[in-house]
Amino acid sequence: MGADLFSIGRSSLRTSKKSLATTSHNIANANTEGYSRQKITAETNTPIASGKNVYGTGVNVRSVKRVHDKLVEKKLNDSISDHNYNNERTNQLSNVEEIFNEINSDGMNKILNRFFNSFRELSNQPENEVVRTLVRDNANIVVKDFKRISNSITHVKERIDTQISGIVEDANVLGATIADLNKETTRIENMGGETGDLRDQRDEAVRQLSESFDINTYEDEKGQYVVNIVGGGSLVAGGAVNRLKLGKIGGDEVGSYKDESRAEIYFEAGGNQTPISASIKSGKVGALTQTRNDEVGLLRGQLDEMAHGLVHITNAIHRKGYVNKSIPTDQNGNLINDPGAGKITGINFFKEPLQLKQASQFLDLSDEVKADLNNITTGLEPNSPGDNRIAIAISKVQHEKVLGEGSKTFEESYLQSIAKIGLATSKSKVNSEQSRGILAQAKSIKERVSGVSIDEEATNMVKYQQAYEASAKMIRAADEMFDSVLGMMR
Amino acid sequence: MARVSEGSTIHAVNYSIAKTKEKLENLQLQGSNLKKVQKPSDDPVGNMEILSIRSKKIDGDQFTRNASVAKAQLTFTENAIEELTELMVKAKELAIGQSSNIFDPAIRQSVAKEVSQLHNQSVGIANRRLGNKYIFAGHKTLTKPFDSEGKYLGDENQTKIEVGKDVFVPITFNGKDVFFQKTDTTMSSRSPLDNSPFEHLEKKFELQTEEEPHFKENEVKFNRTPASEAPFEPQVQEDLRTTMFGELKRLENALLTNNHEIIQDILPKFDKTIDRLVEVRTVIGSTINKIDNAVNTIEKQNLTNEAYKSRIEDADVAELFTDLTRQQNVLNATYKSSAQMMNNNLMKYIN
Repeated sequence: MGADLFSIGRSSLRTSKKSLATTSHNIANANTEGYSRQKITAETNTPIASGKNVYGTGVNVRSVKRVHDKLVEKKLNDSISDHNYNNERTNQLSNVEEIFNEINSDGMNKILNRFFNSFRELSNQPENEVVRTLVRDNANIVVKDFKRISNSITHVKERIDTQISGIVEDANVLGATIADLNKETTRIENMGGETGDLRDQRDEAVRQLSESFDINTYEDEKGQYVVNIVGGGSLVAGGAVNRLKLGKIGGDEVGSYKDESRAEIYFEAGGNQTPISASIKSGKVGALTQTRNDEVGLLRGQLDEMAHGLVHITNAIHRKGYVNKSIPTDQNGNLINDPGAGKITGINFFKEPLQLKQASQFLDLSDEVKADLNNITTGLEPNSPGDNRIAIAISKVQHEKVLGEGSKTFEESYLQSIAKIGLATSKSKVNSEQSRGILAQAKSIKERVSGVSIDEEATNMVKYQQAYEASAKMIRAADEMFDSVLGMMR
Repeated sequence: MARVSEGSTIHAVNYSIAKTKEKLENLQLQGSNLKKVQKPSDDPVGNMEILSIRSKKIDGDQFTRNASVAKAQLTFTENAIEELTELMVKAKELAIGQSSNIFDPAIRQSVAKEVSQLHNQSVGIANRRLGNKYIFAGHKTLTKPFDSEGKYLGDENQTKIEVGKDVFVPITFNGKDVFFQKTDTTMSSRSPLDNSPFEHLEKKFELQTEEEPHFKENEVKFNRTPASEAPFEPQVQEDLRTTMFGELKRLENALLTNNHEIIQDILPKFDKTIDRLVEVRTVIGSTINKIDNAVNTIEKQNLTNEAYKSRIEDADVAELFTDLTRQQNVLNATYKSSAQMMNNNLMKYIN
């Protein structure tokens, strides 16, 4: 009987100590990202029947389990992808939007406007050389601003490409981590070990993946995770990783200049057959590929159309004019075209030829206009320094619906492009605010279920400490009992 | 009872502080330049309208500048024509004085000298320049339009400029219109105030629609040449016109040769010339009126547009600062309550 007391006491001591250790582990990890609080499950030992009586044999720790809710976890992951999508999209679109923001500074709209108005000024005094300088300067500013926007767009694209490639690398590393943790979990569980911490790590890895993709996870029969990218395919299945890679397609090549129109993500194993990025609608990757391939691509197209249109319409009118020089004539009043003296009419204002693709990047003034201000034509007739009709016609292009197959003026076309970006940005801002709220809620629910509460741990600590002390006293009592029995023998 | 953990408390605190701070930052930014539209996404449609109004303002400024150029040029021209009119009236008075066959040859000699002087003066006025531009030379503004005999070297073009969107006004009158007498008085029917030759610009840039590229490499087709003049009508034979200078010269010769019949014949021609000059002055006067109207319209438009733009763009100051104060209070309250919550747990009370 005395021996029983000792062993019951010992089991109690052991259980209390284990409980205290778990409490301590919880407190230690109170601020660890992704940690789920752990809980001891204790159970009574198998009782022994002796005669008519049944004797209890103490307590024993059956398991240490983390407190975890799969549904809460899933909801959290979904909110993470959703918010990261909205947030990243807001970031990228705000960058793009900033290129076109001319509320507090001069932008393309004002610059184009000044360009046309400088021709209007020239129509006041077509004889004036100074005004021609103004026209050329303004045209140079137009050229520069088209280049600025074109370069900024390229820059945004490149930055997104770098980001995507970083994400792809991270995803491959995270995939490998999950696969390793899958194997390790199975191994330890087969030996009957505790895997709460490993599972937390695995969930944390999945959560990190959720930032980039919309992730769908389930446990197979061995307790290993299968991680699917929604709309893509499986990234991890048990111990195997299906690695991702970034590919760029549809290069617009003009001379030595290359600008890939699309960036896509593929599975390494699948070659370049089917990009999975097109079907990814959530997470950072969804935001980045969508912004890069759709909005930014479209903008570049619209900008190129503007630049191309500007060049061809201005040139078509400008070519009809005659240079601002006196051109010699013969007795009959016919012009004498001296090939050595340069062209007298048919001069381009902007450089030709210019392809539609990358027009904004390669826009430039023609060599004639660069070389001599008098090659800026104003007169429809030769030897008419006071003739301003070409200048007026060019200035009138400002209000003509010449773009989009005759449906929009330059300004309308440009402002519509900005409005589109503005709308997309403001929509994603609203979405982002909303999804941030939802994410905060999901995190808070997760923390309520799995998070460590110091108050709770404090009560537990006191509770287990007291249980420990009581057990110790119990053992001393048993010891005293033994002593009494042994003393009787003397 | 919902379980509260350290993590959920911290999330709640972070979230509420971040949210308030973001609002505060936004308000602060608006407060810094009192504009509620800072970037296109703040008000995509408003942004579009703001930029479009700004363009109209720049256009308006340019048109106003054009208008003052036009007015300066027209006033200068009007002065010249006024002088010419006075000169012709003087010549007419002289002619009337000498139109009878009773005369004193000595006086006729000196009158002839005076007429010769008037002739030279009129050629001088006809060759007048504003800056470096001859005002009666048509488009050939850098060439002297009349030689000493009064032969016209300019062309028959008229320069127009735009003083309001699609409002074109003539700023020059060529030598043919001002100094040449036509057999008929068609001048009024082709008044510079006729429909502007640029009105057809509305539809003129017809782009040839081919599949690709949008713009045909070589040409954008005009229905009419840009800014082409309406054809001159009716074509008056050169020899049917006489110039003012010719008339003066004829008077001088008649005086020198004592031919009073020619003098009498010239008188009605002088009247016609004076009528024509007066007509040109009327046209200039009404053109200046038109310019003033255009400028007024632009100014009115600017005012309306500015008011409209301000409604879209400018922040409501009272509202802004009330919001700012309120958000600051909210933030302070959040700080205090968070501090209370985070600094307390059971561990403190267990010894």
